[in-house]
Amino acid sequence: MIEIGNLDFHYGPSQALHDITLNIAEREVTAFIGPSGCGKSTLLRCLNRMNDLIDGARISRGAIRIRGVDIHQRDVEVMELRKRVGMVFQKSNPFPKSIYENVVYGLRLQGVRDKTRLDEAVETSLRGAALWDEVKDRLHASGLSLSGGQQQRLCIARTIAIEPEVILMDEPCSALDPIATAKVEELIHQLKLRYTIVIVTHNMQQAARCSDRTAFFYLGKLIEFAPTREIFMTPSNPQTEAYVSGRFG
Amino acid sequence: MKRFFDSELELFRSKLILMGESSVRQARDAMKSLVEGDVSLAQRVIAADDELDRLEIEIDDEAVRYMTLRSPVATELRLVIVGMKASHDLERVGDEATNIAKRVVRLAAEPQLKPYVDLPRMAGIALEMLRDALDCFLDGDAEKALAVCRRDAEVDAINHQLYRELTSFMIEKPGTISRALELMFISKSIERIADHATNIAEEMVYLVRGKDIRHTDEVKRSGGAAALAGPSDAAGSDTRR
Amino acid sequence: MSHANHHPFRAKPSLGRTFEAGVFWVLRSTAYIILLCGGFVFGDIVLKGSSTVFRTEFPFVNTTFLTEAPESLYVFEHDGVKREMGDREFRAFRGAEARKAEAAGKPAPEIKATSYVYSAGGIYPCIVGTVLLVVGSMSIALALGVASAIFLNEYARQGRFIRVVRLTILNLAGVPSIVFGLFGMGLFVIFLDWNVSLLAGWFTLALMVLPVVITASEESLKAVPQGFREASLALGATKWQTIRKAVLPFALPGILTSSILGIARVAGETAPIMFTAAFVVRDKLPWQDLERASDFFFQGVMALPYHIYVVSSKIPQNEYTERVQYGTAFVFLLIVAAIATTSIVLRARLRRRYRW
Repeated sequence: MIEIGNLDFHYGPSQALHDITLNIAEREVTAFIGPSGCGKSTLLRCLNRMNDLIDGARISRGAIRIRGVDIHQRDVEVMELRKRVGMVFQKSNPFPKSIYENVVYGLRLQGVRDKTRLDEAVETSLRGAALWDEVKDRLHASGLSLSGGQQQRLCIARTIAIEPEVILMDEPCSALDPIATAKVEELIHQLKLRYTIVIVTHNMQQAARCSDRTAFFYLGKLIEFAPTREIFMTPSNPQTEAYVSGRFG
Repeated sequence: MKRFFDSELELFRSKLILMGESSVRQARDAMKSLVEGDVSLAQRVIAADDELDRLEIEIDDEAVRYMTLRSPVATELRLVIVGMKASHDLERVGDEATNIAKRVVRLAAEPQLKPYVDLPRMAGIALEMLRDALDCFLDGDAEKALAVCRRDAEVDAINHQLYRELTSFMIEKPGTISRALELMFISKSIERIADHATNIAEEMVYLVRGKDIRHTDEVKRSGGAAALAGPSDAAGSDTRR
Repeated sequence: MSHANHHPFRAKPSLGRTFEAGVFWVLRSTAYIILLCGGFVFGDIVLKGSSTVFRTEFPFVNTTFLTEAPESLYVFEHDGVKREMGDREFRAFRGAEARKAEAAGKPAPEIKATSYVYSAGGIYPCIVGTVLLVVGSMSIALALGVASAIFLNEYARQGRFIRVVRLTILNLAGVPSIVFGLFGMGLFVIFLDWNVSLLAGWFTLALMVLPVVITASEESLKAVPQGFREASLALGATKWQTIRKAVLPFALPGILTSSILGIARVAGETAPIMFTAAFVVRDKLPWQDLERASDFFFQGVMALPYHIYVVSSKIPQNEYTERVQYGTAFVFLLIVAAIATTSIVLRARLRRRYRW
């Protein structure tokens, strides 16, 4: 569904990604792993062009195609792209508004005013994010009154409210305790049925648990991309093996 | 809290239970074919061994996959490890059943050496041990598993008695040597099935209590009675770790 | 270790400890000195001013002082009693005496009075003028300042140009206020021909506080977590939608805080308005006798700081002017405090709503 072909990426003069070629399959969870600064987040942020916000960031070669369309073409409306390719961030960042307003934020941007439609969207999205039962009685409480894990699920609800096709997750559990992490992982497993998910994680167990395919990056290069099981059981590259077994040097 | 991979563990358990059932059936059918001289049943037993082999590989594979991807701990980790070991024991039970079945096919060509009394009795105990050991897996009853370990001595004793009996047959009538040897090996196979049942029982105690009881006084004391001479001893040390 | 008090952490006298204590006391006494100075200044104004502003009998407030325009004070002796009267009262009194004398068939009595300008009446037009100047100039300053802060912080590519712009803003903050006054006169009063007017004063004052507002607004915008912007953009918002819905509301408390400083400055500056907006005296209130609505903006006003300046340096000093000086200063302090309190309350409410 997402085809990344021979991608080179620069932050100003320094090259962050080298010749990345990777195909992400529909309705699967693809995990990006690798040590810090290996370019996995950069690649993730290329997929919905969040890198546009950074001065001097540019793709110098290759292309990313989503459903066959080069998303960096001139005639691509980046707002439309981001509606299709949602993103959940490392630090849960609900707006300091009510839970309800957080969920409908994207819909309101699109000019949806109809109250019933908004109400429906709130319920569906919160159910989809496995948060409905916990917050249904206090939809108008501040999103910040939730616990860390709930906040992150609220962010996921906010993302699925605009019905994207792809959900990008940038270390969604790095600030969560194990229980909240388990809930989010559970959620990822359910979301897989409807969405294509790409997740960047530092936690190798998480990649192992959640993902169908895993890509290992090192120093801006894609070292190995294979079904998760192979990456963790029979990695073909010694670097991958060293990384997944935790003795990287 | 339920996790999305809990179903994988359930599948793993049910595979193990299925394998236990098949191995018990294999052993029982092998003995039945001996007692009833049913060669076709024996042949079916031999043919059905492939299924057990396949299950063992599947279980091992699943266990390795689960350990790699799900990083299990505590009870789950013990379940996966015990599952791997038990599947190995069950596969060996299946092998012994096949061995018995093969000897049944060979014995069928000749007249029966003697009425089969001790062998079915011994096999009855061994099968019961196996059943009990597998039941422990279902109901988590460690006491029952310990009882299985203690019964191993009975089987060993019968095996030893049969050994002497068949030896005397061979001394008296050299013409019976081949048949007596076959029976002796069948006896040994049954004794080994009991040993595997003991192993499984020990593994179940480990699963339930997290305590390793192998080669402890508890088990050695009961095994000591049969630890005399003869093939049983060799067989025992072979399979009992 | 035989003695209980011989433990390894026992305090020992040393040069370092003495020095430490010394430094602490120096720092503490500076804070006290500042407090003392502030207390003295405020105390002086409050003590002397309150006698002008408050009354011992009902309604306890000197309503004349707060609601009337300044008048000349006439001090005279009549029938052996020393009297003080404002301009209008004095005329009425003189008229009444004249009529009384006429009715009695006597010549009108000559009342020999000494007059003191601005020492009677009140400062109502000054209060009105100051409030108008503050509200107008802060609105302009906030609009311009927030707009340029948004540009600088959210839109502009951080490069050499932006650095130059920032440096300019910083320098602007250091320009003396009298220079702003002259500039305002040159540009608004003379070149644009707005005359001495509210509008000219607004823009001059706005320009003066703009650096403060811009810098503070930028800081407030920077303080809004980057995550809000990212989240909003990732939900398909345009940059402007993001700023309007996910950045500005959360930066507002900070912007308001900084504008409190601006308010105090705008209200208190004399130099920028003396050439551009302030009249020494103006009888009409700003909304009286307007021919066109636009005239409202093109009229000069009286203002508290300028009035203080006038009554304390432009007229002969005597015991009567002092009352006006202190009274005006006291009222001025009260007004600044009131405006600041309003902003603080507003900020607190916004903070409660948007806390992260």
